Amino acid sequence: MKTGSILAAAMALPGMLPSAHAQVTVPNATLIQFKYLYYRDYQDSGNRITVKSPALYLLAPISESWVFEIGAVYDSITGASPYYHTVLSGASGEGVEDKRAAGDITVTKYFGRTAISARAAYSTEDDYKSVAGGLTLRHATPDQNTTFTLGGGYSSDQISPADGPAFTRTKTTVDGIVGISQVLSKNDTAQVNLYYAQQRGYLTDPYKALYGVDQRPDKRDQMAALIRWNHYFEGLKASLRTSYRFYHDDWEINAHTGTVEWAQELPYGFTLTPSVRYTSQSAAFFYYDPVYDAALGPPFPPGYVNNPNGFYTSDQRLSAFGGITPGIKVAKSFVGGWSVDAKAEYYEQRADWRVGGDGSPGLQDFKAQLYQVGVSKKF
Amino acid sequence: MASHCQVRVYAPDESVAREWSDAAIAEVRRIESKYSRYRDDSVTAAINRAAGGAAIPVDAETAALLDFASALHAQSEGLFDLTSGVLRGAWDFKAQRVPSQEAIGKLLTHVGWSKVTWLAPTLRLDAGMEIDFGGIGKEYAADRAATLLMDLGARHGLVNLGGDVRIIGPHADGNAWKIAVQDPRGNPGATIAHLEVSHGAMATSGDYERYFESNGRRYSHLLDPRTGWPVEFWRSVSVVAPIAIAAGACATVAMLTPVDRALKFLDAQGVRYLAVDAVGHQHSK
Amino acid sequence: MKRFASVFTCAGALALSVALVGCSTVQPWQKGNLAKSEMSFDHDPLQTRFEEHTYFSKEGASGGMSVGGGGCGCN
Repeated sequence: MKTGSILAAAMALPGMLPSAHAQVTVPNATLIQFKYLYYRDYQDSGNRITVKSPALYLLAPISESWVFEIGAVYDSITGASPYYHTVLSGASGEGVEDKRAAGDITVTKYFGRTAISARAAYSTEDDYKSVAGGLTLRHATPDQNTTFTLGGGYSSDQISPADGPAFTRTKTTVDGIVGISQVLSKNDTAQVNLYYAQQRGYLTDPYKALYGVDQRPDKRDQMAALIRWNHYFEGLKASLRTSYRFYHDDWEINAHTGTVEWAQELPYGFTLTPSVRYTSQSAAFFYYDPVYDAALGPPFPPGYVNNPNGFYTSDQRLSAFGGITPGIKVAKSFVGGWSVDAKAEYYEQRADWRVGGDGSPGLQDFKAQLYQVGVSKKF
Repeated sequence: MASHCQVRVYAPDESVAREWSDAAIAEVRRIESKYSRYRDDSVTAAINRAAGGAAIPVDAETAALLDFASALHAQSEGLFDLTSGVLRGAWDFKAQRVPSQEAIGKLLTHVGWSKVTWLAPTLRLDAGMEIDFGGIGKEYAADRAATLLMDLGARHGLVNLGGDVRIIGPHADGNAWKIAVQDPRGNPGATIAHLEVSHGAMATSGDYERYFESNGRRYSHLLDPRTGWPVEFWRSVSVVAPIAIAAGACATVAMLTPVDRALKFLDAQGVRYLAVDAVGHQHSK
Repeated sequence: MKRFASVFTCAGALALSVALVGCSTVQPWQKGNLAKSEMSFDHDPLQTRFEEHTYFSKEGASGGMSVGGGGCGCN
C-alpha cells in the first residue's frame, strides 16, 4: 500500500480543503468592489492636477470552469500639467478639464490546474484612445505550490491632441510576461516575474512638444524584473508584504522600486496597513536640465539650432529622481462578506532622493496626495 | 442524523457566529438529505431503486464519492465496500439473534463493489444490490462544513458529527482541542484518553456503537463485507488525519484487520492513532 | 541588449532558486495562513489598478505585473 494513499484519495473529493493562494483553481465566490480615488498633485509654486476617479470591479465564476471579470473606471481630470520642466501653464490656474472612461473584460477558462485568460481593454478620452488585449496562461504543479505564468499583450493607441495643429498618430505596444509563484512555507509565498515590452510609433507628449521642446524616439524597448515576498507572522497576526522591481529601457532609464507593507490584524475585523514605497530612477538619455540656450531662451536646450531634429525632453517624469510614498490603510470586514477600506498616501519626488543623490537639478519637488475609499462584497 | 452533532466556532461577534454556524449546519443537512437511505428523494434511494435495471447518471459530487469508494475498495483489498449495507437484513440487532450461515450466504451474493458497474457518469447495480453512504456520510459532511467555515474566514473551531470531528483551527488562545476517546467497555461518556488535535480530523470506529451479545460473544455492526460476519480484532480504533473522511476510512479498514497487519497499515498511511485491542491493550502513535 | 541579457539571467536564476527552495512541500491542509486575503499577491484589485496607473503616469518606469494593459493620455 502506498504511503498516505487513503489521504490522497480523500484530497480528490471536492470541498475537503479551504481554497488557498498560489493555487490555480476556480474562485468559489463572486466579488464586487467599488472604489473612489481622489488624487491631487502640486509643487511649491502652485497646484497641478486633480483627479477624481470612481471605479468598479466584478469577479464572477460563471460555471465550474469559467470565470468572468469586468473593470471600469471614469477619471475626471482638472488642473494644469507643466509645459516644460516644472513651469506651470498660466499663473491664473487656468488649465485642462479632461475626462477618461476605460473598461476591460477578462474571461478565464480553467482546465484542472491550468487556466487561460483572455482580456480586452478600451480607454477613451478627448485626445487619446487605446484598445488593448492580452492572453495569459497559468499552470500549477500537482501540489499547487508552484504556479507558472506566461502572457502576451498588444495595445494600439491613437493620439489626437486637442491643442495645436490637429493630427492623429498611433502608438503600438507589444508586451510579454513570464513568472513563477512559489509557496515556500506555510507562512511564506514568493513570486518572480520578468516583463518585456516594445513600444513603436508616436511616443512623444504632444502638449510638451507644443509648449516646450519634446522630441522622443519612435521606439522604446523596456524590461522589468519583479520579485515579491509575503510572510505571515503567526504570533503577531500580521502579514509582511515586500517587493522589489528593477526596470531598464533603451532610453537609458534604470529604476529601482521597493515597497514594504505591514498588514496588521486587529480585533473586531479591522486591519491596519502602514506602507512605504521608495523609487529611484535615472534620466532618459535625451532629458535636458533647465539650462536654456543663450540665444533662444527657454524652453530650448543649449545648442538646439545645431541639432533641431535630435531627441529632447524636459518632462520631469523622465528626469532622475527618488520618490517616497508613505501610506496608511484601514479596512474593516463585516458580516455577510462586506468590507470597507480607506487609504491615504503622500508621494514626493526629489532629485536628492535618488540612490547616490545624483538627481536632475533645477526642478521643483513633485508632491501628491492620494486618497482611496472603497467597499466590497463577497458572495 | 441520529447522533449528537455540534458546530463550535470562534467568531468576531455573535451575528458572525450565527451566520457561520447556520451555513455549516445547512451544508450538513444538505448532505444528509442527499445521501440518506431513509428518504425517497435521496440520491441513494434513486440509485437503489434502479438496481437490476439500466445504468443511471449521477451528479459530480456523487461521482467523486463513488471514485473515492472505488479507490478505497482497491486499497483495502475489499474491506471497504459501499455495497455491504444489505447485510443489515441478516443482522437484526433488536432481535439479538445470530443468523445462519445460509441466510448470510444468500445476502452475500448481493455484496461486492466489483459487481458494480461504475463508469462515470453512470452507475449500475445488479438486482438485489444496494449502495449505502452511511459509512462515509458523516465524515464527508464534517469535512465539507469545516471547509466551508474556513472559506468564510473562521480560523478557530470544529465540527463534530457524532464523534467524527474535523477541526477548523485550535482554540482562540492557540491551545489544541482535547478530544475524548470513549472507553469501549465503559459507560457512555467514560473516556480512556484525550487526543490533542489543533488541525485535521479525528474519527473513531468501535464495536460498542451497535452490538449484541449471545453466548458470551459480542456481535458488532462492523462486518467484514467478504464474509458477512463481524470481526473481533479490536474494541475501537481512533485515527487522526488531515481530513475526516480519510481518518474514518482508515479507522474502518483497521477495525476489520488483524492487529499486526492493522498497525502496519496505519503506519503506512502515516496517521496518528489510538487503538484498543480485543483484550483491552492500547496501541498508539 | 547585453544589459537585458544579464538582468534576465540573474532574474531567471533567482526564480529558479525560489522554486527550488520551495521543495520542502507544504501540504494543502497547512495553507490556512496563506489563504488569508492579505497574504495574496492581488488582494485588492482596484487599489492595485489605481496605484499602478498613478505611478505609470508620474514616473519613467512601469510594468512587471501584467500584460495588455493599454495606454492613456496621462503618461
